[in-house]
Amino acid sequence: MALAGNKRRKLDHVSSGDEEEDNASFASFEEAENAEDDVSDEEMDEDDVDEDMEDGSEEDDDEDGEEEDAPGSKQEQPANGADKPTKQQLAAQIGRKTGRTSAKDALASGASAFTSGTFKSNMFKLQVDELLENIQPRQGKREKAAEEALHVLKKTIEQIPARPAQEIEQAERGLAKEKIAIPFPDPRPPKDAKYKLEYARPSNINVVGSHALKTSNRAREVAELDMVIQMPSSLFQEKDFLNHRFFYKRSYYLACLAAGLKKAHAKAYNIQFQEMHGNALNPTIIIAPKQASSEQAEQKPVLKWQVNIVLAVAQDVFPVEKLGLDRNCVRATDAPDGSSANAPTPFYNSTLRSNMLVTPYLKLLHKAATSCSSFRDACLLGSSWLRQRGFGSNIAAGGFGNFEWSALMAALLSGGGPGDKPVLSGGYSSYQLLKATLQLLVVKDFSRQPFVIGTASTPPKLQDGSPVLWDEERHHNLLYKMTPWSYKLLQSAAKTTLSMLADQKFDGFESTFILRTDNTLMRFDMSLELEQTAFIKSDPSKTSNVQQSLRKLYQTLQRGLGDRVTLINIRQPASGPWNIGTARPNQHSKGSVTVGIVINSDNVNRTVDHGPSAENKAEAASFRKFWGEKAELRRFKDGSILESLIWSAGENGQSVLEQITRYLLQRHFSSAVEQSAKFMGDEFSRMIRNGASNACFEPFIEAYRKLERDMRDLEEVPLTIRQLMPADAQLRFASIDAPMVGRTSQQTKPADVTMQFEGSNRWPDDLGAIQRTKIAFLLKFSELLEENVEGVSTRIGLENEDTDVFNQGFLDVTYESGATFRLRIHHEREQSFLERQLKDKTTDPKSRELAALALAKYKCDSLKTPAHTQAVAQLCNRFPTLSGTMRLTKKWFASHLLSNHIAEEVIELLVARTFVQPWPWSAPSSVQTGFLRTLFWISRWDWRADPLIVDLSGSGELQQTELQAITTRFEAWRKLDPSLNRVVFFAASNVDQDGVSWTDGKPSKVVASRLTALARAAVSAVEQQKLGLEPASLFVSPVNDYDFVLHLSATATGRKRRSSKAAPAFKNLELETLNDTSLVGYDAVNSFYSELEILYGSSILFFVNGTDKPVIAGLWNPQTAPRSWKVNLSYSTIPVKTGAEDEVNAEINKEGILAEIARLGGDLITKIDVNR
Amino acid sequence: MAPTQKPKRPVATTVNDFVALPLRLPALPSYPREATHHLYVRAHAPKVPTASTPRELFLVNVPADATEVHIRSLFASQLGGARVESVAFEGARVGRGITAPVAPVRRKRKRGVEEEDGGEGEGEKEVGALPATREREVHRSGGTAVATFVDAASAELALKEARRAAKSGKATIVWGAGVEGKLPALGSARYLAHHRLRFPARHALQESVDAFMTALSAQEVARARALARLRSQPDEDGFITVGRGGKGDAAREEAAKLKGEELAKRQKKMIGEDFYRFQVRERKKDEAKDLVRGFEEDRRKVEELRKRRGKARPE
Repeated sequence: MALAGNKRRKLDHVSSGDEEEDNASFASFEEAENAEDDVSDEEMDEDDVDEDMEDGSEEDDDEDGEEEDAPGSKQEQPANGADKPTKQQLAAQIGRKTGRTSAKDALASGASAFTSGTFKSNMFKLQVDELLENIQPRQGKREKAAEEALHVLKKTIEQIPARPAQEIEQAERGLAKEKIAIPFPDPRPPKDAKYKLEYARPSNINVVGSHALKTSNRAREVAELDMVIQMPSSLFQEKDFLNHRFFYKRSYYLACLAAGLKKAHAKAYNIQFQEMHGNALNPTIIIAPKQASSEQAEQKPVLKWQVNIVLAVAQDVFPVEKLGLDRNCVRATDAPDGSSANAPTPFYNSTLRSNMLVTPYLKLLHKAATSCSSFRDACLLGSSWLRQRGFGSNIAAGGFGNFEWSALMAALLSGGGPGDKPVLSGGYSSYQLLKATLQLLVVKDFSRQPFVIGTASTPPKLQDGSPVLWDEERHHNLLYKMTPWSYKLLQSAAKTTLSMLADQKFDGFESTFILRTDNTLMRFDMSLELEQTAFIKSDPSKTSNVQQSLRKLYQTLQRGLGDRVTLINIRQPASGPWNIGTARPNQHSKGSVTVGIVINSDNVNRTVDHGPSAENKAEAASFRKFWGEKAELRRFKDGSILESLIWSAGENGQSVLEQITRYLLQRHFSSAVEQSAKFMGDEFSRMIRNGASNACFEPFIEAYRKLERDMRDLEEVPLTIRQLMPADAQLRFASIDAPMVGRTSQQTKPADVTMQFEGSNRWPDDLGAIQRTKIAFLLKFSELLEENVEGVSTRIGLENEDTDVFNQGFLDVTYESGATFRLRIHHEREQSFLERQLKDKTTDPKSRELAALALAKYKCDSLKTPAHTQAVAQLCNRFPTLSGTMRLTKKWFASHLLSNHIAEEVIELLVARTFVQPWPWSAPSSVQTGFLRTLFWISRWDWRADPLIVDLSGSGELQQTELQAITTRFEAWRKLDPSLNRVVFFAASNVDQDGVSWTDGKPSKVVASRLTALARAAVSAVEQQKLGLEPASLFVSPVNDYDFVLHLSATATGRKRRSSKAAPAFKNLELETLNDTSLVGYDAVNSFYSELEILYGSSILFFVNGTDKPVIAGLWNPQTAPRSWKVNLSYSTIPVKTGAEDEVNAEINKEGILAEIARLGGDLITKIDVNR
Repeated sequence: MAPTQKPKRPVATTVNDFVALPLRLPALPSYPREATHHLYVRAHAPKVPTASTPRELFLVNVPADATEVHIRSLFASQLGGARVESVAFEGARVGRGITAPVAPVRRKRKRGVEEEDGGEGEGEKEVGALPATREREVHRSGGTAVATFVDAASAELALKEARRAAKSGKATIVWGAGVEGKLPALGSARYLAHHRLRFPARHALQESVDAFMTALSAQEVARARALARLRSQPDEDGFITVGRGGKGDAAREEAAKLKGEELAKRQKKMIGEDFYRFQVRERKKDEAKDLVRGFEEDRRKVEELRKRRGKARPE
């Protein structure tokens, strides 16, 4: 009994630990239940089992609830126990409760996001905390300087004298005298305007924006402070919201401010005009410290800060109703009564509203920051998230920046759900706020159905697909600066992020907040640069409204490209500041517009487009109007007569996408625009011989199927075949060159196939005998195949002749078509024999080492490679661009002479990772993005500390426990071999959980570092040169880095035969050699290289180029430094006297070795270059 | 390694008890530079001397392309005309220690040796060897060899000549002189030949495998018979040897082991995991511990990350 009591106490203790947490979240009713529990504890003292069951069931309830709601929160518990609970955690605990209750009534769509844990995982939370610590605004030098400036500026502004009301011309002249040009928006005010411009002391000066809110991200380059100056309402008349009048007056007011500031501070500060967030209607003054002259700059770097002077008006200056999204506020002058001319001007109206709403939004944000403790953190996280994806408040950057993010969250904290219940709860953690907001962005399509916060009559939807996020309380479209394309981009980014955060096996922290994803080449499959000037010229209306023509461009491309693309983004250059003394420059006269396109790789190369049926008159007409002469009426096989478009598959090297785009540009814009278009996107896939699609492997795969059938159909076989397993890159769409295509159908390398028989107990009990038995089987099969199958030739080859622990025989099967397969028999008992040899204590170390090698090789060849081949082939069918990307990446490795160090399978894993764990992007849909993102990842891969783990199933087949096991194995390797002498890369997959099958011993640390350096160089080239990048330049590798280079003769190595232009004079001779199957599999370069590796491997690090120009380069191993002479050195030496008595040092005889290599290579080597 | 630097460092003519014999390597079109190779020579002194030891010289740092012809011609035509009987290269040795290389033999099958006990003919050693696939072997860089001369006097003479040549300080002896045409060429021809030899004629292979298999089965029968004899007859002390019968092979042992493990598992399963209260308690405690440990681990990981990557800061 005493014992039982003791036990109970322990149990109580544990459960009370749970309750501590629960108390916070489940409020009072939970307590009541606990009290009950206590009672029952005493009552049921004797009946342990009963109580237990009760306990257990209750526990289960609890757990269930948590699992449903918060898988992460269970892991959170110890965090609270071990760590001093921070404010956030407390908030998070409270948040869970509110999250739960609100989730029930909150809109169903968002609910899942809100409740999935306060954080993703401990790791994630810890990292986020650290990030927040690092990006929280800090009162640094630049902020201090900027704040001082604010005070000075405020004083100055208060003292600027009022200017009486003047006619426009007069006002302009007056300011021109002070060398100030009024930044009037386009069109300029008419000369005969009746109204007057006036300046009076501001009614209010305030600091707003992220600085005031303490949500500015420290990571940004320039500390920006927004100073809002409210213009007195007396300056404006009732009708000033019409026809830009407000904006003219505003511009004048701004110019007056500029004049006053210039008078006082021209020496200390740099004062310029700038379009606020790229909005031409809203110019602003930016004040920055003056750039010191060069010598001063060296002494003291200029602090990077900037004060933006933002003009505002009182909230009630103009009636709200007049500025609705469906109202017209710019009356057309030429057609006053035409209904079409007086179309709604939502952008104009919203810009005006935004001037009126500066203070209300400031209040809203303040309220949110005080009512929700993690609001500020969520703003910071949001700003990081947006920044890494290239979003900003500027129209050019998408029109969705920090302000929009915070305002959206603040508004969602007060409403937005059904019945205007808040979507977000004040108790959410920063991560929950972020995730819920993203969820909202993904689930709701604001462009299709305006999203309303607050109870309101639904505002009208915008015509052109711009998003509407209507804040009813303030009567404002928060997203008025967003374009249809930037909204789509934001949505896709949010979607990607959400699916990334849902990936429990992957720590998404880096991809969410750290990595930059806005590099055009890595983000988009195809990009297209258009010159702005050509654009403006092509616009027939001459309104020079670039926004308008961009919208037209977007709509044209969207309609024209249809389902070939999944995303089109247009990026225009951001406008810069201009001097206050000069007129506003035409921002759109130069620069170029970049169109980024994410393609749908399933449809992109379709050559025939079906339009509407000819009977459908209206649609057909619209189709014809859109496509012009390209539209053809065709009758199709199924009898339907459809409008259709025919594109050529490869007309002068242009992809279908490029053809369509060029055609559309020419038809809907002008040929000048088309001429100015620079395309980038196909160059990478064009570098792959015979095309990047899976289709070029088809004939070979077909041949393999035939082999499989032929083998199965054989009769009188000594043992039935259980299975044939492909185990070769050529059979998983991953070899650099597709087999059997091109001019010659002859294959250079037979494709490995592993064959397994049904079990039999008649196999001998000895490894050597098993190898012979295998040869005997192969002989039988060879005979049978030649007898039964037509057009097949077979022969048996030997390998590993010196030792019988390895496989010794293989069967080459060559079909008439040229397809050659190399069959090896896999016998499952080899493994147990080898393992026994390893375990046997009496085995001598040398044979044990050999057995270990053989075991690794057996596992790799017979088990891992077939499984890998199958998995990769399946993945290739799922991702059409995976094959091309793998082939291009292998080419890159080969051209940098790395392919003999890094196994093909490892490269494939690296590439597959880009597809199955594509974060922070989504899976690449072109070779370009796949390849560049792979390089990007390699450049950042810290192989010392991070394993490469790829789930090749692509569907989450890799279990969490397996992942754990792999990680443990990795850690064990690192503990065993901390200096990375044996395993440098740890590359595991769901089909190979050992992680070292292809990386044991190779690559070495040196090579791995070189790979990283090369990848970094490539990535920085991509980042610097952007669209100007010449793809081929990434594949050029300087050979000067090596100590010596052996240039191999193309003729002697047999490589020349393959090149298409060689010796056309001797065609017959050539064909003869081609038909000679005896040369299949002969690779002189490789034979030479592997022999060099055996002879000199310990003193020279060789690099061999697997492809085009045959070269073998070498580095002397630093271990060959001079040392005292001894017999057993593994390299040729020179005995050198050291000067000391009788002491002789051994120095490596580099010349002697090179001469030896030259003799060995004989006619293979044309030249040896010695660099060092 | 510019050639101009070389004369500055005095090259030793002897090292330990080796003579460092400089060999001139003629220039080649692909490597138009003369180089010197140093071959170290001394009298062979194995730990376990054999009858032929006095006739042997021990060579260190043999050039990779060395053949018996090379060595023979080296001593015969350039070093006093000592006649070499045979040369054993390092890689081709079997089993014995480094000081006792023996004549080059294809690797014998161990079975073959055992068979001799079974009373088969002496010729059985080579039975079932796979056809050779190389016309000419090359050697590991810095490898050793043992040259056996026709008599002890020749060996002495050769060593003396080598010493004299080394002392002269000039690399007057040319490597590979006088072997032209006697050996299969190196370079692509050799690799091509290897490629052809890798695919032996089917009948040759069949013969080799058949021979092997017959020998193997014969040997197995012999062994089984011997074992049976041991089992059935008491030895001189009157004991009957207990040997492994025909039943126990590796796979069976493993199967038995697996079975045992499975049984243990089943035993564990017999009492449900939540049967006793203490089990539940312990499970919970373990879970809590796991959580704490998981958290600690995560914290450590983040700490490590910070150390490696510096502060987490958006790029």
